[in-house]
Amino acid sequence: MCHFTQRSSTLSFPKICNIFWRFQHTSTSHLCSCSKTVSNEKYQDPFQLGRKDLKNLYEDIKKELLVSTAELKEMCDYYFDGKGKAFRPMIVVLMARACNIHHNNSREVQASQRSVAIIAEMIHTASLVHDDVIDDANSRRGKMTVNQIWGERKAVLAGDFILSAASVALARIGNTTIISVLTQVIEDLVRGEFLQLGSKENENERFAHYLEKTFKKTASLIANSCKAVSILGCPDPKVHEIAYQYGKNVGIAFQLIDDVLDFTSCADRLGKPTAADLKLGLATGPVLFACRQFPEMNAMIMRRFSKPGDVERARKYVLQSDGVQQTTYLAQRYCHEATREISKLRPSPEREALIQLTEMVLLRDK
Amino acid sequence: MWGALLRRGGRGAGGLRRLVSGGPPWSQVVSEAEKIVGYPTSFMSLRCLLSDELSNIAMQVRKLVGTKHPLLDTARGFVYDSRNNLQMRGLVVLLISKAAGPSTEELSFQHNMVSGIYSSQRSLAEITELIHTAFLVHRGIVNIGELKSCDGPLKDMQFGNKMAVLSGDFLLANACTSLAQLQNTKVVELISSAIGDLVQGIYYENSKSPEESCLTDDISISTWKEQVFLSHSALLAKSCQAAMELAKHSAEIQDMAFQYGKHMSMSHKLHSDLQPFVKESSSDTMAFSLNSAPAVLHQEFLGREAWIKQIREAQGRGNIMDYKKLQEAIKAGKGVTSAIDLCRCHGNSALAALESFPPSEARAALANIVYAVTRFP
Repeated sequence: MCHFTQRSSTLSFPKICNIFWRFQHTSTSHLCSCSKTVSNEKYQDPFQLGRKDLKNLYEDIKKELLVSTAELKEMCDYYFDGKGKAFRPMIVVLMARACNIHHNNSREVQASQRSVAIIAEMIHTASLVHDDVIDDANSRRGKMTVNQIWGERKAVLAGDFILSAASVALARIGNTTIISVLTQVIEDLVRGEFLQLGSKENENERFAHYLEKTFKKTASLIANSCKAVSILGCPDPKVHEIAYQYGKNVGIAFQLIDDVLDFTSCADRLGKPTAADLKLGLATGPVLFACRQFPEMNAMIMRRFSKPGDVERARKYVLQSDGVQQTTYLAQRYCHEATREISKLRPSPEREALIQLTEMVLLRDK
Repeated sequence: MWGALLRRGGRGAGGLRRLVSGGPPWSQVVSEAEKIVGYPTSFMSLRCLLSDELSNIAMQVRKLVGTKHPLLDTARGFVYDSRNNLQMRGLVVLLISKAAGPSTEELSFQHNMVSGIYSSQRSLAEITELIHTAFLVHRGIVNIGELKSCDGPLKDMQFGNKMAVLSGDFLLANACTSLAQLQNTKVVELISSAIGDLVQGIYYENSKSPEESCLTDDISISTWKEQVFLSHSALLAKSCQAAMELAKHSAEIQDMAFQYGKHMSMSHKLHSDLQPFVKESSSDTMAFSLNSAPAVLHQEFLGREAWIKQIREAQGRGNIMDYKKLQEAIKAGKGVTSAIDLCRCHGNSALAALESFPPSEARAALANIVYAVTRFP
């Protein structure tokens, strides 16, 4: 909870609930009136910009995974095949450059900043491996999960190993502040999972609970890795805050869209089965919004869609309601906020790319 | 593990000169050690155990009662054996911290001393226990694909797995957070690498298919020692070393602490493996692991083919292992005496490492622990 209220932001909890209840009255023109900083920097595809730094990212990650047993090595390397979106490392590297430029016009990414990108991706992957065991998932990124191929016992160990390797790499940066910042992520990831275990009876509480879980499970990693590279690149605490807020807002938007795609996309495109959240008993943004129009959903939410037919019924309600639109609007607001924050930095191609990225988050279909 | 030691009597025997009979019984070793370090170490993880998250898990784990999920055993062991079993690693870390004495350097705010131990070192002892416990829990995951109908409903096992992963992860996350608070990058690196070692060690324990686990691995005793180092020694060895680093002791002292931790844990594992073979007459023969030290050594002396033949003979026609027969086969060979020698050898190395520390109550307690794990009837 404290992550929201501690940081000053226009999107504090009371405000979110306001937005929640007043969506009908928000005019779309309001969204477009954000002051986008005009710059002379050419538009560039963010992924192109970051490509050089990330070129050997997955190879370097695999080098950190020093394991003597061939099978364990294979398991640990499994998701570092270069086919993932590399969305998080991309943001980290772009943020590093944007902060370096802001500080002293340097466009170089420091070795320690690049390490942060690697560590962030490793922590993220370790948590995915464990999540798949917890959710008994059998496919991810278009292929079978680690637990499906090698069994749950070994999958859990592989996740633990990746995490330990990430910690070793983190220690080697040699900066105790950075260690604290990124260790916070590990704690948040676990607490986020626990939040998912519980549920709230009260409709108002549910949304706050959902946003908190979203922060801990998704946004914390991005927010804190952005903060970490900003600390390494620039001594100004205001810059650290900007980086953190950008990461946090983009991260939440990313997850909100992910939750929307679970309803609107089809399985092939997504690389994993759809309505997955409902099947896990989870009520995400579209569901919570839909529940306002269809109060019948309350009972289903409380029993976590466990009765036969619940999942299908809930899905239909969501698609009949404006749940998807509302969630998308909310994601737009978060992207808007991320853009507002990052615009405070000195203009650069990287800064523009980060703004571009927020729009890509909204437009993604997988 | 350690609980087995308490069940034994405390009589000493001859053997290597340095490890003659003597030294108090195990329970006394523990209670004296706890006095030396200032409080009962069984309280160490209490703060964590009482957290909301774990209370939540504890309530959920109750749903597993009546199922066959291993998490239930782990949880039971935790509650009922806390007097005997647990927190031994933490106790050793505290003792060695005290035995090494105060730092020769100026230390920062974190480092106030209570009962001769720095608060950072106490924190480290707790971290060690957290990690050890996390892996006890993570060891208790079942492979869904291998379940049979006699294991009970699938959803119970899935649920048990979920609880096991979550609670293990929670303990590990707490360990990481506490590690970060120590503000020492060398210690973070050391302990993180110990976690990696532990994973690899457990991985070796697990990697057999159900058919293969009826045989001893095709490994030499030296390979066995490498694997056991990873699964049973690395964590304690590196924690002891890290405790020295926290007080900024010299590289030599750090190494000696590492050696003590390593050799004492090896002795302990060997001692534990030997229990089924050194007890006097007992009506029931304890089942033992075919990858325990006496079996591996026996295989090495006899040759693998001859050993496999003995295993098949003990399995008989029904494919049910006659452990008494197998045990007699091993006792008839050189496996048991070699294992005892190896145990005492490691014990001596542990004692030798202690020589680098000045004489003190704490050092004596560490020596008593070695005597306890190298004592055979």
